[in-house]
Amino acid sequence: MLESGWGVARRGVLRMSGAALAFGAHHAHAQGKPAPRRGGTLIIALEGEPGSLTAHLATDTAALIPATNLFNGLIGLDLNFEPTPDLAETWTISPDGLTYVFELARNAKWHDGKPVTAEDAEYTFNEIIAKVHPRASAWWPNVAHAKAIGPNSFEIKLKAPFAPFLTMLGSQLGAGALIMPKHVYLGTDPKTNAANQRPIGSGPFKFVKWEKGNFVELVRNDQYWKPNLPYLDRIVMKIAADPASRLLAFERAEIDFLHWYIVPYDQVARLRKDKRYQIIDSGGEAAATNGFMLMNVRGGPLQDARVRRALAHAINREDIRAKGLFGEGKVAKSPVSSGLGWIFTDKHDYALDVTKANALLDEAGHRRGADGKRFPLRLAWATGRDYEGRAAEIIKDNLRGVGIDVTIQTFDRLTFIDRVFRNWDFDLANQLFTTGPDPTISVTPRFHTDQIKKAPFVNAMGYSNRDLDALFDAESKQLDRGKRAEMWRSIQEILMRDLPALPLYEVPIVQALSAGFYDVVTGPQGYIENRERAYFVK
Amino acid sequence: MTTLGGATFFYVLRRLAQAVPLVFVIILINFLLVHAAPGDPVDFLIGSMEATPEFLAQLRAEFGLDQPIGIQLVKYVLKIVQFDLGYSLRFRQPVLELIVSRLPATMLLMGTALVLSSVVGILLGTLAALRPYSKLDHAATFTALAGYSMPVFWLGQIVLIVFSLHLNWFPTQGLYSLRAPSEGWGRIVDIAHHLTLPALTYSVYHLALIYRLTRVKMQETLALDFVTTARAKGVSEPRVVLVHALRNAVLPVVTVIGLNFGFMLAGSVLTETVFAWPGMGRLLYEAIQARDYPVLMGLFTVLSVMVILVNVMTDVVYAVIDPRVVYR
Repeated sequence: MLESGWGVARRGVLRMSGAALAFGAHHAHAQGKPAPRRGGTLIIALEGEPGSLTAHLATDTAALIPATNLFNGLIGLDLNFEPTPDLAETWTISPDGLTYVFELARNAKWHDGKPVTAEDAEYTFNEIIAKVHPRASAWWPNVAHAKAIGPNSFEIKLKAPFAPFLTMLGSQLGAGALIMPKHVYLGTDPKTNAANQRPIGSGPFKFVKWEKGNFVELVRNDQYWKPNLPYLDRIVMKIAADPASRLLAFERAEIDFLHWYIVPYDQVARLRKDKRYQIIDSGGEAAATNGFMLMNVRGGPLQDARVRRALAHAINREDIRAKGLFGEGKVAKSPVSSGLGWIFTDKHDYALDVTKANALLDEAGHRRGADGKRFPLRLAWATGRDYEGRAAEIIKDNLRGVGIDVTIQTFDRLTFIDRVFRNWDFDLANQLFTTGPDPTISVTPRFHTDQIKKAPFVNAMGYSNRDLDALFDAESKQLDRGKRAEMWRSIQEILMRDLPALPLYEVPIVQALSAGFYDVVTGPQGYIENRERAYFVK
Repeated sequence: MTTLGGATFFYVLRRLAQAVPLVFVIILINFLLVHAAPGDPVDFLIGSMEATPEFLAQLRAEFGLDQPIGIQLVKYVLKIVQFDLGYSLRFRQPVLELIVSRLPATMLLMGTALVLSSVVGILLGTLAALRPYSKLDHAATFTALAGYSMPVFWLGQIVLIVFSLHLNWFPTQGLYSLRAPSEGWGRIVDIAHHLTLPALTYSVYHLALIYRLTRVKMQETLALDFVTTARAKGVSEPRVVLVHALRNAVLPVVTVIGLNFGFMLAGSVLTETVFAWPGMGRLLYEAIQARDYPVLMGLFTVLSVMVILVNVMTDVVYAVIDPRVVYR
């Protein structure tokens, strides 16, 4: 899938305008799409009010959707998670994998007319991202410096090689690295600057209006520095919190785009058959997500890996896919997404086998009592994603069959986080973890011993394996892609053998778009990507 | 009719003065309740990716959430007396600004629903009382019972499916059309068009309640001696019904309308969520989800004050309608 190795000194060869446009045209031709045309309004649904219209304060989707249209990143990602040019038109990596130099577009301009320079990038990384972005503490400590080395040249030097560095920078969810204007933020608090609410960016669309609780309106940037782009006149982000009425609004064409994970899975089959809508089964790969059943290994029966394996054999994951996800998506067979073809392996997965589950439980010393029961467990899930609740019901039913009495505990999202990730007060818990765009970014933080912390979405299971930690620590510095893949296959083997979390399903990527719109989703971050190439032909 | 004398004016002032300590007790209870709920606001703030405990602690310090609850309360009360409702954790702007920006939409929806349910409810109730056990009475009673029992979020969906999706008469969402916004009169018509379904859905429960109450009270009143006397004196039937009977029967209805005001604010959460109406109910819903303490506290305080004001107003309306009510 990926041929080019990391660490090889490499020059981004794509000159933005020419090559990318040629790609777009080719793509259009291949699918029999009409040629791009100017004009039209795209109405995108947001599931809640954004916290701000920038990417530096949070990792919420509702903020990233407007932010990516108002700003540019240094780089983006293609479908192989390889970097693509955005503000940086070319870049070089030193052979030791430590120094990255980005050459920024010379014609890029802020919405107020000032030029975008390397100074802006320097300021964004040092003064904004490093200080306020929630994920910066995961990677910034490894940065030796980030500085402008010319009007348009920007350098980041790392302390130790970090194989997925560019993949992470290109991921809006992973780094939030959209370049922001120094002249607007200088001398202010980036958390409270009024520009967070009325941004001045460099992106394809300009801010017009944010009617709180109602919508965010962006209009075409006529002076956009990428020639002839964008095509759409306006983008309106409509805040629509109720899933059922949001879908009705989409069906009545009051909303044109429902992004990944707000399309109700039970309706997808019906929408697929309707010519008024397009169902897009891609555009979230960079944030590929698996549903897991976390197991608290600190005490009780679950501290025995044989019990955890027995659970894996007893739970019918195909049934969860069929009934919980209405047949969309796939059964997850590894903590790594199957979309990461260069490392994924399902060799260590567990087949449905009730006899084996019973035998393992007996062997672990948990024989059935007179009432046929072995021991009770609690299973926590958070409201908001119906399918997690349906999975909980199926798991309860499956485990009853092997003598485990499961009590389902339903919490609202923040109560759930408090219980599971902060108080570790759970036995089993249904939780989604991203696994893309690179496993170092998304998988390591869930299972490393250092990540047993009272904080959201890290190692709440209390699972610790020093051999595994050593592999995690070594692979991120490994610049040879083949060797790295080998190490990741070993990691998957250990994780599936120890089983601190049972992968249940790969959350299906499904987005719904009104007919007539094209190229709204073009890359692996399609649900939050910049819509500079989107167009509308009636 | 009585005129509102000086006594009533002073009564209102006294009631308002009494409300001040009440508001502070409400603030105290709200503060403790809001902070007692499990869940940490910083978990919402960071979004869907992991963050380090150090970063979470930094966020908590930034919003003063790391201080003992007593200190947080004292600081909050000190701010409130200066009419400062604090700064929203989730929306990152002053709470007062946030609430004021959401107030008009809720007032429009609630005002429409309140007027609609009161006027139609009293009218239907009166008509039904005049012809008890008639077809109109049975139909209205049955409809009222159904309306009273239907949860708003369910009714909202049904109304949307029928009138929006199938009949295509009304839009499903929001305050006005986003695809082609109009100006001037066109905007007003557009807003009215968008208002119809949420206002109807919102009204049904209250309409049913007011209808039932008016009907019972009117029936009782129409059987009283003074009505018989009025009829015997030869007073015209419309005058008997509207002036003599209704004025007496409507008193408890006014009480219920006033009381309902508080429930309507609560009901706005569901209606505004279903119809994506950008008002305070939606704000409350999002604030709860995010454990946005300052916004929750601010909303509860503003809502409490509104309920207290409406109660005082109800008393004044009493004095206007019923000459027997005199305030000293």
